[in-house]
Amino acid sequence: MTIDTAAYVDDRPDEGIFRVNRAIFTDEQVFEAEMARIFEGGWVFLGLDAQAPGPHDFFTAFAGRVPILVQRDGEGTLRAFVNSCPHKGARLAQTQAGNARLHVCPYHSWSFDSAGRSKAVKWHKAGCYSAAFDQQDHGLAAIPCFENYGGFLFGSLSADVPPLADYLGEAAKLLDLVADQSEAGAELVPGQVTFTYQANWKLQLENCSDAYHFTSAHPSYIRVLERRQQETSGEVVASVWENSDYWKEETQGVGGGSYSFPNGHVLNWGVFGITPAIPLYESAAVLAERHGEGKRDWMFNMRNLTIFPNLQVAENASSQLRVIRPISPGLTEMRTWCIAPKGESDAARRQRIRQYEDFFNPTGMATPDDTVSYENCQIGFAGKVDPWLQGYTRGMTASVEGGNRFSERIGMNPARSVLADSQLCDETLYHAYYRAWKERVGGAE
Amino acid sequence: MATLTRSQAEELLFREALLIDTRRYDEWLAMFTHDIEFWMPAWRNETETTTDPDRELSLIYYKGRRNLEDRVMRLTSGLSTASTPPPRVMHVVSNVLLTAADADAAEVSAVFTCHRFDVRMNRAECFFGRYEYALRREGEAWLIARKKITLLNDTIPTVVDITSI
Repeated sequence: MTIDTAAYVDDRPDEGIFRVNRAIFTDEQVFEAEMARIFEGGWVFLGLDAQAPGPHDFFTAFAGRVPILVQRDGEGTLRAFVNSCPHKGARLAQTQAGNARLHVCPYHSWSFDSAGRSKAVKWHKAGCYSAAFDQQDHGLAAIPCFENYGGFLFGSLSADVPPLADYLGEAAKLLDLVADQSEAGAELVPGQVTFTYQANWKLQLENCSDAYHFTSAHPSYIRVLERRQQETSGEVVASVWENSDYWKEETQGVGGGSYSFPNGHVLNWGVFGITPAIPLYESAAVLAERHGEGKRDWMFNMRNLTIFPNLQVAENASSQLRVIRPISPGLTEMRTWCIAPKGESDAARRQRIRQYEDFFNPTGMATPDDTVSYENCQIGFAGKVDPWLQGYTRGMTASVEGGNRFSERIGMNPARSVLADSQLCDETLYHAYYRAWKERVGGAE
Repeated sequence: MATLTRSQAEELLFREALLIDTRRYDEWLAMFTHDIEFWMPAWRNETETTTDPDRELSLIYYKGRRNLEDRVMRLTSGLSTASTPPPRVMHVVSNVLLTAADADAAEVSAVFTCHRFDVRMNRAECFFGRYEYALRREGEAWLIARKKITLLNDTIPTVVDITSI
């Protein structure tokens, strides 16, 4: 199957044109190609090593449609396997996480140790197997590539990928900002939240990087913040947003911007400052000492990071790790967690959790106004009178090659950057998504 | 004073359901104490919900009616795409049991299903789970001092607001 990527992405930088065709969000054949060549054909995020902290711990995930088992053996080595019995294909581990020295397939009792090796084929001797069968490996199929970057675990079902460090490139420094907030690293707060929405996965990809929608999609949340600001009651959930004004339309001067990187990674960011509304505040001094003020200040900035194609870490109202799992062109599942530095105080953890629930949860006051908008987009994408969307051009004349004085503070060299006031709301960072998409979807089989 | 009876508890829970279903939110809010704990835990794994709202994530956790007033303000503001037009909801509350009762306080457990018709997307959903209430007598009235909602089907289809649980 060949996808004519030019029919979906019209990228003419010399003419100041970047357009995306609505059909990229709805075509079945595009979705199939995305699964095969992006999600099942390259690096995807699987989880944190903190999800399987001890000997024989495991957790399960997906690479595209393929169920994955990430398992730590008795010596502490992490491996990733296809979570499927080699005998008849049944899914082996049934739970999101657990501890198992041995996985026994519930269908015919083939068993595997925590290093994925075959332990037993039930009634092997009596099985009248051929010699050819006995020469086969009956262990779990390890996925071709599996690497750990600072506690973030990535895997690839294709062996034909660059080393993870090359794939992440300079964007790895943005993962450092998450991992290095504590010397012990980051952990997921217990309590995972899963939600679905009836729209394409790339809408989530874009929305995380979308500064333009905030005051339009979330006025009800902003109204709540304003109400709370007028009160001194200790009862209300405090939010970092009300202590920051980079996103307000009357704010002057550079308040943030965007960075884009090769392979489709992007960051959209804003200045929050070192404020007590941020749970990390208690560590402000020690982090500056440990990492320097530049990196410390970056840890306090509002940062929405996408590691293409399925990992997003949003540090704004609180801190969220999201994994995007496309189900069909018009259905996406989001697995979400509150990610937090290990060892933070009880008060900081409580503040982080309260802000998280209000802002990020599908039962909260902000995310539903995003996901409902994705669904409205998906409905609108049926309109093909003019199939080309106009949402990829803000910032076109502000986007420059390389970094700027802010990225220099952490020695980071992005491919492109935009410095923005509160109303610029760059859309050129999406170009990185669709250029990576073109490369991958249009690449050779 | 007499302790709360099961039929009084039922009446209170049924009335609460009616007020939500008919969007009489001011009257609904008036059923809560000022310091109400309104809590819907998240699930820690396949079989257990989270138990410590300060160290673990909840789907919703509020201490204080003031926060629920914010939620109602958002729902009715006309400024939330997800809340406009409002979905049609209907709660069925059943298996009401009085689990503790004295003169000024009572505990009640119940189960619920909430059917929601999302007018915007033309789809119907059903949410179901368990309620645990702590009720407190304030003057003549019994008010809700704590409401814990255990949502059993927690893969959220786009949105679940305080009216669908």
